Amino acid sequence: VSLSGWLDRESVFSWLMMAPPLLFLAALVGYPFCYGILLSLQDRPVAHPGTFVGLKNFAANFNDPIFWKVTANTFLYTAAATLLKMVGGLALALAMNQQFPLKNLVRALLLLPFIVPTVLSTVAWMWILDPAFSVLNWFLLTLGMPKPGPSWLGDPVLAMGSIIVINTWRGLPFYGITLLAGLQTVPPELYEAATIDGASGWQRFRFVTLPLLQPIILIVTLFSVIFTFADFQLVYVLTHGGPQNATQLFATYAFDIAMGAGQLGRGASVALAMFPALVLLIAALTIYMRRK
Amino acid sequence: MDVTSRRGFLKLAGLGAMGAGIGPRSAAAEAKSLTLLHESSFIKTFDEYMQKTLAPAYEKETGVKINYELTSVGSLPTRISTIAETGSGADVTMIFLLYPFLFEEKLLDVSDIAEEAGKKQGGWYDVAKEAGLVDGKWKAVPFSNIGQLMNWRTDWFAEIGVKKFPDTWEELYEVGKKLKAKDHPFGFELGHGFGDNHGWLYPLLWSYGGHEVEPDGKTVVIDSDETARAVDFARKFFKDTMLDDVLGWTDVSNNKAWYAEQISCTNNAQSILWLAKRDFPDIAKVTNQAQNPTGPKGRFHLMNSVCHSIFNFSPAKDEARAFLRWLMGEKQLGAWYASADSYYQPLLHGYDNAPMWQVEPRNIPYRDALASAHLPGWPAPPNRALAESLAKYVVVDMFAKACSGTSTKEVIKNAEAQLKEIYRPA
Repeated sequence: VSLSGWLDRESVFSWLMMAPPLLFLAALVGYPFCYGILLSLQDRPVAHPGTFVGLKNFAANFNDPIFWKVTANTFLYTAAATLLKMVGGLALALAMNQQFPLKNLVRALLLLPFIVPTVLSTVAWMWILDPAFSVLNWFLLTLGMPKPGPSWLGDPVLAMGSIIVINTWRGLPFYGITLLAGLQTVPPELYEAATIDGASGWQRFRFVTLPLLQPIILIVTLFSVIFTFADFQLVYVLTHGGPQNATQLFATYAFDIAMGAGQLGRGASVALAMFPALVLLIAALTIYMRRK
Repeated sequence: MDVTSRRGFLKLAGLGAMGAGIGPRSAAAEAKSLTLLHESSFIKTFDEYMQKTLAPAYEKETGVKINYELTSVGSLPTRISTIAETGSGADVTMIFLLYPFLFEEKLLDVSDIAEEAGKKQGGWYDVAKEAGLVDGKWKAVPFSNIGQLMNWRTDWFAEIGVKKFPDTWEELYEVGKKLKAKDHPFGFELGHGFGDNHGWLYPLLWSYGGHEVEPDGKTVVIDSDETARAVDFARKFFKDTMLDDVLGWTDVSNNKAWYAEQISCTNNAQSILWLAKRDFPDIAKVTNQAQNPTGPKGRFHLMNSVCHSIFNFSPAKDEARAFLRWLMGEKQLGAWYASADSYYQPLLHGYDNAPMWQVEPRNIPYRDALASAHLPGWPAPPNRALAESLAKYVVVDMFAKACSGTSTKEVIKNAEAQLKEIYRPA
């Protein structure tokens, strides 16, 4: 067979087209991931050859009280922020699906929190949450709260609440716009039919919109959980895990151990601790979607 | 060429790839050059002096070009890690705190340069040896300390009759109590920053006689009556003199609060006065600086050492040595220090009375603090375990938890458990 004939075969050509993205994934995702696993099984101080220690790093994490605090923080952060984004995003999409003046402009502006680099928007939030300059505190003080008002980042509970709210603010447009796209694919005839059958607004939402949006909600949630679970920048800039590790997440803790303390193996083992939870979640969602 | 057919597309892509491969190579300039890596300085004139004066002067003298690579504040450790791991990227680097110890296997022995500089320029401060000597060899040539001292508002202190900065922690506490009552609280970082937390908490711990680990670098001794007294002091100091928000502060927070005239005393490097002079002249007029207060076991300061090291994989080791030796020469070194007033406090006694100290006499306490300065974790030797303790904020969080209301006994017990896990026998 000539080269051109060979290239024209569907099986050959499709693999040729697949090769660049596969290589790209292997180099930028596969290799670091495998290297991370290798590191996590070693006592590997920075600038020093590693020695294989099996699961010792993971055992050390198991005995580290901060590791468990970080685990609890990460799950709480992810669950709360994802839930807020899901409900808020759906509401946002429904609102944006209505007819109103300057609709396209408003839709575009909504994307801003998602577009602005996280580090920049986090610095803006730093000012919003600083009791001396905070617009929030100014508002609360005018309402009669005693000076200086809440310490948003100094109180462990408020600090966690604050980063959840900021993450939600940043991630909401992603949910909103994706769900809006989904809403626009719902055929209007279905609503008409439901209306003729006497369905109320709520019933139309519950029995027409929601079932049709479900696959999209699942996909967006999947992405959102992954991003939120591995969030780094927001916490690193705003609190660096403080106060007293109240906002420390897997990614920031792993970074501090690997880069601050130069314990690459131990840091990799903390980062990999995220992996089983994410795999389970992705598997569960994928199975659920296949069944549908 | 018909790019709509598969074959046409592939041919085009192939040609493109070939074109990229045979494209003109960069005319690899063979001229000798060295890369000096530095963290961007808070004091712009300092970096400019290297870029505009020192580097050109060295090139003129020797023909070796100096690339002054600046990395953003806080990112130097990551950059050094990358360079050490990949074995390329810079020849000479700024290096600070415990990093000469973490990276010592990748650093050249520069004992000859350090000893020569010491001999010619009045001898090294003791703390310089803490910062640069690794197992008896200089792996880093000490450059300076960036001291963390007390910054205080002279006008508000004067309002309650205090003209001189209090000498002891207890006296400072009494002053702070009165000032907080007058709505001029103190603000000392208790959150997860890089420096302003350790900057006062280690000296406080030491001045009450507390230590994390013995000088043997193994035995954890944090659980002591001395530590307990320091923790008890910190709790009341926080409660009665400070803003609640300090628990969540990072390194920028106290500066912000200072310029917002929100706090009357903090612990910071002298950049706080420098920036006030530039941007808030009225505040600068009422800003003064002092050594840390003394406690029952003395007066202490934190050493934020800045050194220079040469990577042992540098392809131009000899040139790098020659450059560092030149840089540490009296003429260059003195001028470089002077370009930043006294933000970088020399660790050579030869500069104790240099004119740079007279530019801003309010900075003189930073010089006087050098004799009682130590690296974090002192008196334990710097090692990997200590770096882990710092990265995990063990000491900072011990104090911070006490300030948030946890009992002294419990915070010390937690810190001890963490340290024992960190200093676990291999």
